[in-house]
Amino acid sequence: MNGNSLPPELERPMARAVRLEYRNIFWTITIIAVMGLVLGQSETMKTAWIEDSLGLVPPVMFLFAAHMERRHSRSQRFPFGFERVNGLGFFLAAVALTAVGALLLLNALMALSAAEHATVGSVVLFGQEIWLGWLMLAAQLYSLIPPMLIGRKELPLAKELNDKLLHTDALMNKANWLTGAAGLAGVIGLGLGWWWADSVAAVIISIDVLNDGIKALRSSTAELVDGAPRTLSSADLSEDARKLGDRLASEFPGATIRLRETGRLIRAEVHDTHAPQLCRHPRHYWPGAEERAWRLAQVSFVPPTPDSDRAQPS
Amino acid sequence: MKYGVLLVLCALSACDVMPRDPAGTSRHIADRGSFRVGLVEPGLARDPGVKALVTRLEQRTGARADWRPGTGEALLQQLDAGKLDLALGRFRKSSPWKKDVAFGPPIATGGSKDDPIELKAAMRNGENRWIMTVESASRAVARGASRP
Repeated sequence: MNGNSLPPELERPMARAVRLEYRNIFWTITIIAVMGLVLGQSETMKTAWIEDSLGLVPPVMFLFAAHMERRHSRSQRFPFGFERVNGLGFFLAAVALTAVGALLLLNALMALSAAEHATVGSVVLFGQEIWLGWLMLAAQLYSLIPPMLIGRKELPLAKELNDKLLHTDALMNKANWLTGAAGLAGVIGLGLGWWWADSVAAVIISIDVLNDGIKALRSSTAELVDGAPRTLSSADLSEDARKLGDRLASEFPGATIRLRETGRLIRAEVHDTHAPQLCRHPRHYWPGAEERAWRLAQVSFVPPTPDSDRAQPS
Repeated sequence: MKYGVLLVLCALSACDVMPRDPAGTSRHIADRGSFRVGLVEPGLARDPGVKALVTRLEQRTGARADWRPGTGEALLQQLDAGKLDLALGRFRKSSPWKKDVAFGPPIATGGSKDDPIELKAAMRNGENRWIMTVESASRAVARGASRP
């Protein structure tokens, strides 16, 4: 039994995910640098640049949480280990996305209502004068590519690890082409003389960021307040958890079954029942596939007491 | 292969289409045959850089300069309102007008090193095609001025 709470069969996928996220950070930094060089006064570009910068938050949180989960053992001060750091990181990332998304939206709406015309002039490149908008388009096209490739690799790993933070990042990366298209449309519209296209594209991009943030907030807060286990990508109840609940209810009739998630692990409490005579590993109760049984880390039994659930008179 | 060639042709033709002016400044200048220009301080009328820039612009646009009266911030307001196409003056590098008008590259620089004063053109924000024309002419004048 490891000092940490990471199931042994997840060691290798976790190592792969950590390597992937380091690469994710590297490519995101190149995107931030390239976009930052050609920002100019375009609202679209400024908003897209901030959105790209936010792309650093989930991988950094994931790497920190993974480091805690893998390298730090249970201690006197943290007897339950650090498996919930992932949930905390997810929550912090969600707050960052929501707050920044809201600010970006406000900024874009104000620019639109002020009817500001963005000046995008010329720059001198290798002795040639070229419209900055062409460089902006090139930067936007570049920024489309790495997230799509990385997102495609992240998704199966996130499912294998049952990692919500990684899964959210994977979905955001895969959907990046939408905001990239909005960014391209904004700059092209600006080039064609429609000044409002710049602000409208900025509004679209910021709504997308805000939307991602709110979805992540719902999912992360549910886990942190010991809500019932949810699916990876939404606030709907997890199918696996429902089956587990049914399995436990059938084995212990009359008991109250409570399930919660701590990071990627599910913990079950069976109330008003004595523990069975046979010593059973929690994984015995997992209803689904054998290789996912690691998800059930604990089945606790709370025996019935005469006055349970009724307040004692003092 | 066919689509690739088509795409490249479209892109090449787009090279000249973009950028357009939202308020059509370049088109109006071509239609009128003149561009409205003002000097932020009257003394600049004798400045060689100013004269060189205006001459170059006349050559590039095929329109003549239509000198308008008025000085100072009032000119910048007219720029913003679309009543003027070009204003020439000496502004700080970090001028507070940076956000309200589009400044071209400096034709001449003076003043102190930390807070230089630049002689430059000011145009209406967002009129990107016209801005590019003036920027190009300004750079040419600055290059010409630096040669002995």
